[in-house]
Amino acid sequence: MKKKKQQKAKREAKGSAASVCAAEAFGIHLICGLGLAVAFWAARNFYSINLISNPSLTLRLIWVIECPIVILLYSHYRRNRQKCSYLKAVGRGLMGLPVGALVNAFGAIALGAPVGIKYLPKTINWSLMMSLFTVVPATSVFGSSWADWQRIFAHTKPIEPIDYMICIPAHGAIIGAWFGAWPMPLDWERPWQEWPICVTYGVIAGYLVAMVASSGFVLLRGTSQRVKGD
Amino acid sequence: MPFTGQGNQSSLVYFLLIRSLLVLLALQMVGLSIFVFGFFPVKPALSGVSGPESYRSPTSPSNQNQSEKDLSSNQRRSLYQELSGIPPSFDRLILMVIDGLPAEFVLGKDGKPPCKTLMEAMPYTQSLLSTGMAVGYHAKAAPPTVTMPRLKAMVSGAIGGFLDVAFNFNTQALLDDNLLDQFFKIGWKMVMLGDETWLKLFPGLFLRHDGVSSFFVKDTVQVDQNVSRHLPNELIKHDWDLLILHYLGLDHVGHIGGRNSLLMAPKLKEMDDVVKMIHTSSILNQANNNGHTLLVVVSDHGMTENGNHGGSSYEETDSLALFIGLKSDVSDYLLSKDHTVFQVDIAPTLALLFGVPIPKNNVGVLISRTFWHLTDDQQLRALELNSWQLLRLLEAQLPGLSCGSSPYDGLIYEQGSRISKCNGSLEKVFCCLYMHAAFLHSSWMSKEVSRSTYREEYSAVVAAYHEFLRTASEWLSRRASDRPVNLLAFGIAAMLLSTLLLLGLIFFICKEVYVGEKQNPSDLKKTSWWHLDEAFCVGVILILVLSMGSSSMVEEEQYLWHFFSCTLNFLFMRKAIQSVQGGRAGKNFSLLKEKNRTGFQIGSIFMLLISGRVMRGWHQGGVNWTNLPDISKWLEQAGSDHVKSIQLFSGLLVIILSLASLFIVGSNTKFVLVVGFSSLMSGLLVILHLIKHQDSMFAPSSYSATLLVQTIYALVGTVTLGTSVALPWFTTSWIYNASSNSIFHISTSNPNELRHKSLLLELRSALFVIGWTYIVSWCLLQLVLQQPINSMPILLLLVQVLASMIYSFYSGLHHKQWVEVAAIYYLGIAGHFALGNSNSLATIDVAGAFIGISSHSTVLSGVLMFMITYASPMLVILSMVMYISVKDSSHLSFSLNLESGQILLRMLGFPCLVPLGLNSILLTAYTFILLLMRNHLFVWSVFSPKYLYVCASTICVYTGVFVVAATTIYTHLVLLLQKRMRISAHAANHKHF
Repeated sequence: MKKKKQQKAKREAKGSAASVCAAEAFGIHLICGLGLAVAFWAARNFYSINLISNPSLTLRLIWVIECPIVILLYSHYRRNRQKCSYLKAVGRGLMGLPVGALVNAFGAIALGAPVGIKYLPKTINWSLMMSLFTVVPATSVFGSSWADWQRIFAHTKPIEPIDYMICIPAHGAIIGAWFGAWPMPLDWERPWQEWPICVTYGVIAGYLVAMVASSGFVLLRGTSQRVKGD
Repeated sequence: MPFTGQGNQSSLVYFLLIRSLLVLLALQMVGLSIFVFGFFPVKPALSGVSGPESYRSPTSPSNQNQSEKDLSSNQRRSLYQELSGIPPSFDRLILMVIDGLPAEFVLGKDGKPPCKTLMEAMPYTQSLLSTGMAVGYHAKAAPPTVTMPRLKAMVSGAIGGFLDVAFNFNTQALLDDNLLDQFFKIGWKMVMLGDETWLKLFPGLFLRHDGVSSFFVKDTVQVDQNVSRHLPNELIKHDWDLLILHYLGLDHVGHIGGRNSLLMAPKLKEMDDVVKMIHTSSILNQANNNGHTLLVVVSDHGMTENGNHGGSSYEETDSLALFIGLKSDVSDYLLSKDHTVFQVDIAPTLALLFGVPIPKNNVGVLISRTFWHLTDDQQLRALELNSWQLLRLLEAQLPGLSCGSSPYDGLIYEQGSRISKCNGSLEKVFCCLYMHAAFLHSSWMSKEVSRSTYREEYSAVVAAYHEFLRTASEWLSRRASDRPVNLLAFGIAAMLLSTLLLLGLIFFICKEVYVGEKQNPSDLKKTSWWHLDEAFCVGVILILVLSMGSSSMVEEEQYLWHFFSCTLNFLFMRKAIQSVQGGRAGKNFSLLKEKNRTGFQIGSIFMLLISGRVMRGWHQGGVNWTNLPDISKWLEQAGSDHVKSIQLFSGLLVIILSLASLFIVGSNTKFVLVVGFSSLMSGLLVILHLIKHQDSMFAPSSYSATLLVQTIYALVGTVTLGTSVALPWFTTSWIYNASSNSIFHISTSNPNELRHKSLLLELRSALFVIGWTYIVSWCLLQLVLQQPINSMPILLLLVQVLASMIYSFYSGLHHKQWVEVAAIYYLGIAGHFALGNSNSLATIDVAGAFIGISSHSTVLSGVLMFMITYASPMLVILSMVMYISVKDSSHLSFSLNLESGQILLRMLGFPCLVPLGLNSILLTAYTFILLLMRNHLFVWSVFSPKYLYVCASTICVYTGVFVVAATTIYTHLVLLLQKRMRISAHAANHKHF
């Protein structure tokens, strides 16, 4: 019964959204990863800073460089192509950026991120970056479709390739951040134990691993679908 | 009927379960106490102070009972001199303590001199040593190698156990017999310069003092200058007999840069200069016939390569004992290679050198080379006195030991005969060794003439005494730190067994409940899966157990609990969002209700998250980052007015919130009104107390304040007890009149079902009011007891508890019950740390333990201290009564034929068993960790205090769960009885008609 439902959903989806093949997924993830690498490279070579020496500026660099990449790329795969133009999807993504940042900042502060004037820019930049990894792709693709949001984030039940490409990296980033907070209370007295440095390391590690996993999933599903189709 | 048979069987199972649970808990308690007493041995210490009787043999009956208390200090001094037969060798003592100096730095290691830079750093001391003017020893210290216990060991000669340290945290003064008190008794005047630990240990003993704090470890210069600046003046003065100098700088140098720090050599040079200054001035004094001065340079402990200390490695225990200014020729000291003594040996040595009785609990042996300026019989007398003192201590520890009446008395030693070996039981060995030495001594004494020809015999006496002293001392000091392996193994095995069986019990109930619940097959698929929150609950425990092996995680445990309980809340939120689905599509009533319900769930989770975060920020907590800013520090800086207004605000809000929750949710019948009103009264009294008397908490509390607090205690106690006892009897009368907006309204109109449900309904509504009373009473008590700054966290705790109740009410059957109970329990522990508690004994609020107590009572203060420390876990466990009542138990009425006992089991099973199970997992795991870490550097400073906390929280969980279970069972029994009475009355009425 479940399978039937899924197939039905797939059929519906095919009508409204561009399907993604494995190579495309891989390419998108590769570009996102490269964006991160460019951000770090630029931080090192143009500003001669890194995450430890100036976390705030580095984080800002990351989100500024990632922002156009993520929004422009994911807006291509928007739902309801008939009703929703490319520009509208981009606009949705841009709107989703601050909203997602708010949600992420709330989560981080509730889990114990320090509050204070000193930490404010770091927290803002960090949550904008998190927003790009988690919320923005979904806003660009789904808009305000509650059912899709719920399916991806509450049930973690991706069906199509694009679902995988949104769901898995977002969860990877969140789980990475959660584990990245672990070394913070230890008394090693290292500079990277400060908020949000090691959390950011966790986010990036989780995001990269999840992107690889997501490419793998899309590839697997693609082949299995083809087999089924035959 | 198959059902009745099943019912009987299940009630049998039910009683069996309760009985096995009790047995398991008893087993756990036994295992725990065995382990605790095996791991932290409490050695019996002799009370009292050594007096003139210490100069009499312990084997001879004490005949003199003169009242020695009214002796003046001068009389006492001459009495001691007369009795001891050893003239005091020195008039004045300068005790110079260099904190953390390893003896290796001065004396070298393994017979080799220290390295060149160190030799050059202390030229004067090294020249004293090489010319025989000074005698130095490696004085082996006993763990824990931290300052205060080591100072105690030096002045009392006793090795304290860990529990001595732990249980004396409210009185730091050294109450045992010690050198300084002995000196004080013979009229010595004492001056102390340096570490203020001495002032804490000996309050009011010093003529002059200048204490420095060792709080700022980064300061290596000022701490020592503050000591040395007085030195020139003090050395000129003649009004003191004992001068204590305690230099902290070297320890600070070690903490900053380790043994090889660049600052080390200059610091040693500074110390060397101090030695030089003192020594030249004492030579000057001696030349002016101002008496002999003995300079003793000691260190309390050594340090590791990194400059830390606390553990039991050679580097840390290698402390120094350096005697400068001895009168004897010590040329052969240079020849011998073995310069190792024990730190406790300093106490008897100094006592005998200065002519005071050896402290009662001393386990040390005199250092014989420091007595070589005395005549032979004086030296033997010193050995004899030391032996008598140790023999007395042995008699206290081994009740079977009494040498006076032993058969050895009759043994006749032949001339020159020697006992090559003493065999037999411990008592016999000690007795034999002692008698042997005493016999040789007396036979040597009897040869009055030409003693000098009996050189060989003299050394035989000395050897015999030393053998006894060493054996006794080693046994006594081992006893203070020895751990019986068998006991530990048995204790751990018992705890492990009980934990495993307890978990088995929980699993069994889990199966029982959920198998009974699975009515439709679609549920089966759902429950066969582990949900994320369930897996996380179990994972939390695993991660915690693993992280407890790291000392910094133990120190900063508060982060972990907050992190976990918050994450769990986020997972709950995710789960709540999952169920929103239908809300959008449907517009009919039930779906609207569903949406409403999710809204309540999410709202309460937001409350939990926000209040949890504020509480996390209230106290920084922990050990390493305590000085970082937090809300409590900020408020305290802002002034006491702000604190007070916040306190009043929280007090009022607690009252308003609790009354609102009672009258909105519960029904407003007469009895509930009475309960609410009396709670309001006690609340107002608490507010009155806060307004009037909170400022004078640290001043000696006035009579009226104490009376007011006692009234509050009495009122709160009466309300709580009265409600829990009387309420069940009144429940039936008002349950039928209950308004329909109550959460306990009956959803069905079927009268047949109604009758079945009524008992359950009564039980739930009675438990709600009782649980409410428990929570409110506990919060009000905490408002009185806790520090003023903690009143806001108490309010937030109440908010959290109520929010969890709302969440549990609306969550229905989405969760397994044990997950919710575990989440509430985690919340309680996170709250425990939010109230400013940590895993170090320093954060226990001792001041609060005397609020409202008119006379000193250890038991009452202990109970209050326990209540203050475990405010949050206890509140959470008490709230389980309310949890039972708000939890939707409609699934229980699926099977109408359930035994009433079984219903009780299902309602009570998880709220009681889950805290017990979680706690016993933590307890057992932590016991293992403590055993593994027994040789760890921080075993005394980090792991052992944490273990005491774990034990105390076990007691807290037991008490709380007992209260919950007793309340529920009692209420149920009363309601059952009333129902029977009603039925029989009904039947009688029928008959009558």
